[in-house]
Amino acid sequence: MFSLLQIAVRNVLRNKRRTAITLAALLIGVSVMVSIRGLLNGLQRSLVQNVVQGQTGALQIHRVGFLKNVLSSPLSLDMPQDAAFEAKLLAVKHVRAISPRILFAGMVNVADQTIFLGVQAVDPIREFKVVPLRAKTMEDKELFETGKVVDAMVVTEQLQTALKGSNVPKDAPAAILAPDKDGALSGENVTLTGVMKLNMPGEKKVGMLRLDVAQRLLKMEGRATEYIVAVDDIDNIAQVAADLKAALGPDYEVSMWDEIATFIKQAMTRQNFILSLVATVFLILMLLGVANTMLMSVLDRTREIGTMMAVGVRRSKILGLFLMEAATIGALGGVIGGGVGALIVLVLHARGISITFPGSNVPFTIQPYVTPTYLASIVAIAGLGALVFAAYPAWRASRLRPVEALAGG
Amino acid sequence: MALVQLSGIKKSYQLGKTEVVALKGVDLTIDKGEFTVVMGPSGSGKTTLLNIIGCLDRASAGSYKLDGEEIGHRDFNDLAEVRNRKIGFIFQNFNLIPVLDVVENIEFPCVIRGEDRKALRARTLKIAAEVGLTPYLKQKPDELSGGQRQRVAIARALVTEPQLVLADEPTANLDSTTADQIIDLMLKLNREHGVTFLFSTHDPRVMEHARRVVRIHDGVMEDGTDAAAHEAGRMHAALGH
Repeated sequence: MFSLLQIAVRNVLRNKRRTAITLAALLIGVSVMVSIRGLLNGLQRSLVQNVVQGQTGALQIHRVGFLKNVLSSPLSLDMPQDAAFEAKLLAVKHVRAISPRILFAGMVNVADQTIFLGVQAVDPIREFKVVPLRAKTMEDKELFETGKVVDAMVVTEQLQTALKGSNVPKDAPAAILAPDKDGALSGENVTLTGVMKLNMPGEKKVGMLRLDVAQRLLKMEGRATEYIVAVDDIDNIAQVAADLKAALGPDYEVSMWDEIATFIKQAMTRQNFILSLVATVFLILMLLGVANTMLMSVLDRTREIGTMMAVGVRRSKILGLFLMEAATIGALGGVIGGGVGALIVLVLHARGISITFPGSNVPFTIQPYVTPTYLASIVAIAGLGALVFAAYPAWRASRLRPVEALAGG
Repeated sequence: MALVQLSGIKKSYQLGKTEVVALKGVDLTIDKGEFTVVMGPSGSGKTTLLNIIGCLDRASAGSYKLDGEEIGHRDFNDLAEVRNRKIGFIFQNFNLIPVLDVVENIEFPCVIRGEDRKALRARTLKIAAEVGLTPYLKQKPDELSGGQRQRVAIARALVTEPQLVLADEPTANLDSTTADQIIDLMLKLNREHGVTFLFSTHDPRVMEHARRVVRIHDGVMEDGTDAAAHEAGRMHAALGH
């Protein structure tokens, strides 16, 4: 005994060459879509890791208004840097580590040269716990980290290049100048101990100081302008942000990494948009192949359709038969293409792809991946898309007049 | 008792800008159990007439009663139902479904109307045996000879237990021996089951066995009970044409 679905499946297998060509188109299209999605997923995950573990931390805590006025170094919008305040932060669930910072703008003077710079003052040991990738981008980080050179300052390659005009020797004495918390110009001697590489585009002339040096310089002992926060699972950050906000009260704002590094979020949105565009074009091309196959099938089988109508098959069932055939091809192509795509992604995941961003000189490895949900959705889209694109040929078949169909159209 | 009653049936087509009148007012009555042949030259309108009687097409004007019911103006789905329940078709080109085997092809019209599978299978096997298809039940149409394919078509036409079987040139694509066997088979089914057969054919052997031959020419029925044509058929057969 048989059903309309069985007839549909047999019809799909009937013209093997034609079905194989259509399936090949679907296979290539779907597997390329899956591979590109996998690559982009890997790339975006690396981007996020790079920014979260190399620069921003998962979350940042500031006084309300600090971020809006960050360019004018609003040192008055500061917060305590003491055990009581930190205990409050560490008590929040899923907070793994915290580290205080002071951000300010100033000038560095070496020999007879003075250059403007942005300064991040950090507690090295705690900083590297929250943003461990940052340590990897730093030469001689031990000098900085261990405090052997108390007034050590590490600068970016761009700042070093700008200073080279004055032939800066290694461990050169320098002075850092900045207005302190009360607005009076203040200075501290520092030693240029090393160079850090940029791990993200955007930064230019930046120096990194130990927190205690900056606190002395700015007259901010026991104060900080921000805390960076590491969480145990990046997927939890919205909840952790809300909990921190609740613990700190209305004077503080808690920002997620993508609110700080907005350019990353924008880049990812752009990438996803372009991928969707490419995927849509691929999908349409594939499905036009299905539509063409179905149209040829209808033309080839006109007399057969007439026979079915003659023995009493209703128009709706003729329509259903051709739609089922298209959906079978679509789903089959989706499953095979999805499988091949997933395999490609798995291989690339195992091998890893090394890549360096323009504007950055730190290579990192991306590991492509796709989610089962994406795979399932791509199979569903191929099947449903085939249905949509087969609608016209199937409708045409169902609207044939029995007499004309029996005469071969 | 009248099974088919046509009165004043007209059919015209639009062929480009010209209107072609295929039937110009046909009156025809076919009684239950008849074995009737419609004959006429190409373009005479006999296929159009069979299409209208088979509910594959609708008349432009006139009345068509099948088994006492006016069906000339029913919609597509209603006509599909009428074809499925009351009419069996045997085509010149056999018109089997290539992806179905012999049993499935025979059962197809009953499966689509959702008939009980067990009772259907028993009836199918009985009919298959009657038309000599028992050894070929699992074969696909392309594994069968022309005669065997036409037997499948006959079995498919009969499995629904129709009131009327329409056969459009059923022997045209068969060699003479096979054609004879097919004609004998249809005669036997007509005799034993009382199924009404209506043929369109040029085959004198079919005409020889017809109890009634009606002629159509230029869309006009020439005679309802044509003994002369019957005789002509006999003569043709005797002369070995």
